[in-house]
Amino acid sequence: MSTSIHLEDLRKEFRTLGSTHVAVDGLTLDIPDGSFTTFVGPSGCGKTTTLRMLAGLETPTSGRILFGDRDVTDLPPQRRNAAMVFQSIALYPHMTVRENIGYGLKIRGVSKGERDARIEEAAETLQITEQLEKMPAELSGGQQQRVALGGAFVQDPDVLLLDEPMSDLDAKLKSELRVEIQRLHQELETTVVYVTHDQTEAMTMSDQVVLLREGELAQADPPRRLFDRPRSEYVARFIGTPSTNVLPCRVDRDGSTAALVGHGFRVPLPADALPAAVGDEVRIGIRPQFLSPDAGEHRFELTVEVVEPIGIESVVHGRTDDGTRVDVVAAGLDSLRPGDRIVVGFDREHAFVFGAGGESVLFGEELVDGRGRSIR
Amino acid sequence: MATAPRRAPRLSYRAQKRLKRAALYLTALVVSVFVTVPVYLMVVIAIQSPAATFSGGRVNLVPAEVTLRNFRVLLETTSTVRYFANSLVVTASSTVLSTAIAVAAGYGLTRFEFRGKRLAARAVLFSYMFSPIVLAIPLYVIFFALGLLNSYFALTLALTAISAPFTIWLMWQYFQTVPIALEESAWVRGAGRWRTLRDVVLPVARPGYISAAIFAFAVAWNDFTMARVVMSRDEMYTITVGASLFLDRVTIGWGETMAVSLLIAVPPFLIALFLQQYLLQGFSVGGLE
Repeated sequence: MSTSIHLEDLRKEFRTLGSTHVAVDGLTLDIPDGSFTTFVGPSGCGKTTTLRMLAGLETPTSGRILFGDRDVTDLPPQRRNAAMVFQSIALYPHMTVRENIGYGLKIRGVSKGERDARIEEAAETLQITEQLEKMPAELSGGQQQRVALGGAFVQDPDVLLLDEPMSDLDAKLKSELRVEIQRLHQELETTVVYVTHDQTEAMTMSDQVVLLREGELAQADPPRRLFDRPRSEYVARFIGTPSTNVLPCRVDRDGSTAALVGHGFRVPLPADALPAAVGDEVRIGIRPQFLSPDAGEHRFELTVEVVEPIGIESVVHGRTDDGTRVDVVAAGLDSLRPGDRIVVGFDREHAFVFGAGGESVLFGEELVDGRGRSIR
Repeated sequence: MATAPRRAPRLSYRAQKRLKRAALYLTALVVSVFVTVPVYLMVVIAIQSPAATFSGGRVNLVPAEVTLRNFRVLLETTSTVRYFANSLVVTASSTVLSTAIAVAAGYGLTRFEFRGKRLAARAVLFSYMFSPIVLAIPLYVIFFALGLLNSYFALTLALTAISAPFTIWLMWQYFQTVPIALEESAWVRGAGRWRTLRDVVLPVARPGYISAAIFAFAVAWNDFTMARVVMSRDEMYTITVGASLFLDRVTIGWGETMAVSLLIAVPPFLIALFLQQYLLQGFSVGGLE
């Protein structure tokens, strides 16, 4: 039986010797029943603290946590029917793999026969049948993580909590386990809450991505929407690799046409599109994938600093003449050398416009839809 | 052109390695001679009759005969058995008590936040700096006031007072290496605190508390000061105090002395033999490798 999760104005403070650190600050969020929700953000953004509050390992300073319509805010971890997989994997070193997977069932008083049946079923799903009688120390990191998942799997939890379960694994194992976890989610029909600092994991696995910033909600949306419609510069820069380029601009008016004027380019604005006054500083965000050499409506010059070939495409790290760092991802750039000058351009339908406070004020389509006229 | 002055020829890497190895073996040899020779003397003198040991006007260190005569003399003319039993009783109870205190304190110090925790931990380590005799006099006064002198109970407490600071410190260090995620994982799966303690914490901490127990055992078994102060009746003496008293008798010679020494050495030897792997594991965590 899975359950939906509701966080209401959740707050967690840690007090240490007179100083108070706010780890989670006023988090309100709905996690739909049966969904795969990922908390993502840089270290210290409060994502693990939130997960630990869901598990009952931390008590919220204020606010409420509901599983369905059951208030679990003050319920101890033992009575939440959640399963958790820890970053450190946390297998019991003195128990065999079989005992490790079955420990939760044993506590609930499930008979030995049924326990073994469920353990073996889980082991089969996770391809660790051969390892059942071994001790955890004899297993590889990936196998250990599968055992930890197995322990969660057999319990048929309402909520499956995963705290950076793959942070210590190498890239190949990660991509294998990503598939494994998604399969597990489908088979279990449980609500999964996943914490990671790796945006690739967040974007590839989730129904909903929750991006946190210093304990506050930055944005909670499906991955695609997070990518296409970031609510702020912070979201735009965190999601996507390499990071979104941010070019400083100024709002300018030329007769009846308003425009954003940056270093070497000018993006016309639809009439009354921007609630900003002439002379205001704003920023244009453009993903490196949407910058192309010698193409695009709006162009500017770059000095190449580093070129990283990644197969067909290359990542070019450069700087504009006013010192703004700009990354470009495109094919056919691998012959460039540091110091070379290139012209890159973008179409304004791909641009984001951020206000002075970092909030998104306009998206590309809105720039195109308007009546603006290119002056260039 | 003059060439640059040659440096003194250096030993090749291989030669250096060999030299290091030779030095290592030499050190090991010297140490083992210092350790084994007294033990050997003890054993040889204990299993020969005094007549054989001193025949021909010199000390014979290669046994020509093996006899239990010295042990028989001990049994017939002294209370060795009683002393030995006393030692076993107080050592066992003090070992259990000290280890139990250490596990409880170590777990508490690493798993709970409370006011004065740092101070408590420091006080524990500080109290370890006292020599037993400093504790002995106040303890004597306390036990006298409570009417507890000449009891196993009092000696158990006194011995635990000597060993507990170190065992607590050892377990405190050990529990710091036990990831709290193991316990949290058990809680989330539905295990209560006691169940978690039994199923997860204690099994994982086993090398730690076995080391603590071995230490507490050694302190209690080898104790002289506390037994001397707390016990004043002959039938309550431990083997260390008892032996020291009868060694002064004219009828007890070298043979009997070494025989009782051998008896005293047996329990620690057995403990070390069977538990050595745990001892090393526990101490390596405590940074005492």
